[in-house]
Amino acid sequence: MADVVLTSTETKYFTDDDVSKTVSRAIDLLNYDFNHDFHFVVIKPSLCYYWDYSTSETTDPRVVSAIVDYVRGQLGNDVSIFVAEADASAMRTKHAFKMLGYEKLSRKKHVKLVNLSKGDIVDKEVSVGDKKFTLKVNKMLLESKLIINVPKLKYHRRVGISCALKNMFGAISTPGKYIYHRELSEVIVGINKIVNSDVTVVDGIIAKGKYPKKMGVIIVSDNVLAADYAAAKILGYNPRRIAHINLAEKEKIGDFNHINLVEDGTDLEEIRSAFPEQNYLLQKISWKLQLKMLKAYSKIVGDTIPPILEE
Amino acid sequence: MLKVGMIGLGKMGRLHMMNCLKIDGTKIIAAADPSKKALNKAKFVGVNNLYTDYHDLLNDSSNMDAVIISLPNYLHFESIQLALEAGLNVFVEKPMANTVEECHKIVSLVKKSGKKLMIGHCLRFVDAIEKMKDSVDKGYIGDLEVITIEEVISGPFAHGAVPTPVSEWWFDPKKAGGGTLLDLGYHLIDLFRFFVGDSKMLYCCLDHKFNLPIEDGAIVILCSSNSSAKGIINVGWYQKTNFPKYNFRLILHGNAGYISSDALVPGNLYLHAIKEGTKNLFRKLIGKNIRPLSYTYYYESYYKELKHFFDCVKQDSDPLISATDGLETMELIEEAYKICNKNF
Repeated sequence: MADVVLTSTETKYFTDDDVSKTVSRAIDLLNYDFNHDFHFVVIKPSLCYYWDYSTSETTDPRVVSAIVDYVRGQLGNDVSIFVAEADASAMRTKHAFKMLGYEKLSRKKHVKLVNLSKGDIVDKEVSVGDKKFTLKVNKMLLESKLIINVPKLKYHRRVGISCALKNMFGAISTPGKYIYHRELSEVIVGINKIVNSDVTVVDGIIAKGKYPKKMGVIIVSDNVLAADYAAAKILGYNPRRIAHINLAEKEKIGDFNHINLVEDGTDLEEIRSAFPEQNYLLQKISWKLQLKMLKAYSKIVGDTIPPILEE
Repeated sequence: MLKVGMIGLGKMGRLHMMNCLKIDGTKIIAAADPSKKALNKAKFVGVNNLYTDYHDLLNDSSNMDAVIISLPNYLHFESIQLALEAGLNVFVEKPMANTVEECHKIVSLVKKSGKKLMIGHCLRFVDAIEKMKDSVDKGYIGDLEVITIEEVISGPFAHGAVPTPVSEWWFDPKKAGGGTLLDLGYHLIDLFRFFVGDSKMLYCCLDHKFNLPIEDGAIVILCSSNSSAKGIINVGWYQKTNFPKYNFRLILHGNAGYISSDALVPGNLYLHAIKEGTKNLFRKLIGKNIRPLSYTYYYESYYKELKHFFDCVKQDSDPLISATDGLETMELIEEAYKICNKNF
């Protein structure tokens, strides 16, 4: 049985203290067993691009800061904590850490920032359904006994929801992950089969739907699929209709029928009704249609496509 | 037939290359870019002489009439200097150079060479701006008192349909020469000068939301040297918007009326694209020249500015934007940075 804790900030001001208390309370309610000899801890936020947490695109460093405090409280001050992210097709980690406030966090909390695209990287083979992939993974992720996955709660034009499962796609060492976009669901599930998120803390302080909405929500789970299940429901989607979530269940990353939802001072329905739902299927179709029409027009008429719209 | 060399085939360079192909009486005979992928694109559209180093292109430029320079900011000065010394007419992306000192040298070099130099101040060629300038010149709104101009977009952080990393030079203050004030503010300060002439910088405030040494937001106030007109300029890179959303507006407040660009720009750019695309389709069917990029509204200005430059070269007339414009705009920007104690 996977536990999912759903909680929200006490006030609507989202102060540092408020965020810290909410994260701490949520992890407490998860009752995760920290009584192991964790040599080091890896925290994987979602830093997919250079837009900061207030735009609802990336993980709030205050959530990560609260997790660092919690982990030190459980494991002692000597535990090494790494905040890790890999380069992406358009994002370079060295800039993202600086621009999104993680360098500041690193100095303040004495945590090390790690670029997962650098260092010891190994090829790992994985099968998802009848497809086989070889993914590049940083050894640090394979050796860590405690990986804390800290995604952002957000809608995603291509896959519907970008949360815990999708956040680990960002951990693949290959910077040009755009090459996987044709088999995105399979690769998302593949990396989650290779790298297990021990604890997931979803940052829904400011969540992304039709627009960035200040929700004050934190979801914590000991199973990555269970966290996505709750997140999908909040976004107004049927989790079974989200391809990568459905596939993850088939691949036994989790089980929809064995989820224990703990609602702390709020409930999923209340949060869902406040969420600015985005119809992702319509968005996906209309975007693809626009690009196809543009390409056809350019071919027939011989007109130029501006670089920003080039496929 | 004007023979043209392309220097730099990044996003802007590729756009200029595609536009150049559609201008009658011009032929691209060479292109230079360190990226083989970019050079392959040039080869695909029929450019035969390809170079990975632009110096080699300039060394082989004896049969060339002009070059289009779309390099990172810090390479503008050197490439302009070498192109003018090679006897070429030059179209260069803004800013003309990274410092006032370099701009002064370019002004002298242009005079000495007798060649044309035009800077890509594309906003002057946007339909709405052309109409607004015409209205002001005809006196429809009386004397200009206050001009407000704003452009808040993603700047270099804009995401294309295919995600590619932001070029590293943008993060290096020495190479970029500045942040959003130099990138977007340059255009808007030029527009202020376009409407009122000689200007002075009164106030500048810079923002650093991105924790970078270069600014991502700026507000400046200018005034005309010859009238009571003032300008308020607001620029930023911090807004996560993508084309066709384009957060730009210019409002001219005169003592007899006002004009806002919002009233002249198509309200719905999707409908505009369908309308203009259909018109181009008909033009194509009846064998007429299409209006390149008219369906995008704003991007058409890039075609128009380039066509204007080549018309000036062919007719031996002065381009609408000269090296002196580049210098004077840069002087105002340096003054703004001085107010904020910024020195790149």
